[in-house]
Amino acid sequence: MSLAKIDIKGVNKSLVFVFSSGSGEEYASLLKNRFESNRQLFEGSPVLFQGDGLQQLSREEVATLQRLCLDYGMILHNVHVPGRGEKPAGEDMFIYRTLRSGQNLHSEGSMIIWGDVHESAELTAAKDVIILGKLEGIAHAGCYGDVNSTIFALNLSPKQLRIGDKISRASGNYIKNPVPQIAYTEGDNICIKEYKPR
Amino acid sequence: MEKKTPDSQVIVVTSGKGGVGKTTTVANLATGLAKLGYSVVVMDLDIGLKKLDLILGLENRVIYDIIQVVEGECTLKQALVKDKRFPALYMLPAAQTRNKDDITTTQVEAICEELKPDFDFIFVDCPAGIEQGFRNAIAAANKAIVVTNPEVSAVRDADRIIGMLESADFKDIKLLINRLRPEMVRSGDMLSIEDLMEHLCIELLGVVPEDRSVVISTNRGEPIILNDNSSAAQAFNNIVQRLLGNNVELMTLEEDSFWRKLKRNLGFKN
Repeated sequence: MSLAKIDIKGVNKSLVFVFSSGSGEEYASLLKNRFESNRQLFEGSPVLFQGDGLQQLSREEVATLQRLCLDYGMILHNVHVPGRGEKPAGEDMFIYRTLRSGQNLHSEGSMIIWGDVHESAELTAAKDVIILGKLEGIAHAGCYGDVNSTIFALNLSPKQLRIGDKISRASGNYIKNPVPQIAYTEGDNICIKEYKPR
Repeated sequence: MEKKTPDSQVIVVTSGKGGVGKTTTVANLATGLAKLGYSVVVMDLDIGLKKLDLILGLENRVIYDIIQVVEGECTLKQALVKDKRFPALYMLPAAQTRNKDDITTTQVEAICEELKPDFDFIFVDCPAGIEQGFRNAIAAANKAIVVTNPEVSAVRDADRIIGMLESADFKDIKLLINRLRPEMVRSGDMLSIEDLMEHLCIELLGVVPEDRSVVISTNRGEPIILNDNSSAAQAFNNIVQRLLGNNVELMTLEEDSFWRKLKRNLGFKN
């Protein structure tokens, strides 16, 4: 008898898996049983992972569970990978060029860009994103869930900002000749303010 | 086929987005250079959706195509179509019944190497998109002209293409802005040259204004550059000069008023 517990709910046409207690292996065997017993229900369904139980799992364990879902034809809908935020920060990344549309970069630490990030270019970093130029593309700081990450740019005019699991859209008012700005989270929101050295 | 220069330039004309004027640009620049006596070959790599033969008005002279060359059905010399107006201009037609995967980058490179001893300029007409057709088109080129229109969708695609060219180690990438409407820029309804340059930040090769007579010349199969009264022709002529390394100022784009048209038709410059 397995100790693991996962509640499966249908919310907005997605299946929400609420993990409450158990280990990675227990969850995996439990899910596998559920999938085998009713393949049609799960196949092609969007899936969201939730619940406190996830916090007890390492990123690798969560990835294994996600892979299991993919094997059974499900679609993963989480914006970021939940899991313990205790992963040690990787190397910071320094980029000395401009990123154009369609180019993407990922850093396991912070990311510092000496150049512009054009519209439709994508950046993800485990920690902060710092752009010494113009940001028009999509930047995702704290992509593993660290909401204390920040995004800084000399000219912050992106279409979208993501920090941790929060997303905010641009207001649509394009301001010419802006000042350096920094984006950070406060509660459930992403805030942007003018950057002033103390 | 007499060469005027020792080296050959292989220039790919690309854009990402379709319908911005790649083929028109290739046809006009090639014709302009051939008119000056340079030996020029244009290579249509838009396999399955060929248009270059129509715009050059050579569709009835096509016998073999590039796929038949790579598959060994004919020689490269047999497939080259000589232009009806300029003996120094040749076209290598695309196959209409095949697709972009029927030719590889190495085969394109081999064809270009075979053409280099005979031609000063080799233009490659790139298909829209970023897939195999694009990879084939840039494989042999050492220069790139990115064509864009002053609209956000074309600019995003151009940005993507420039990024891909940079990743492919292109050092010589130039921008050609096509179909600019000065009166719309002035009223703030169209992106200006400055907006485009600020966003794409590469060297500007030239600006071609919107010109109704381009449609007419396309339908007739006569490149617009041969029509002296058109503003687009003047723009293309300037670009030809810049390709040859001559410094020509950007022409001032004025609204085409009645008086300006009259003056031009009477033979006054500007």
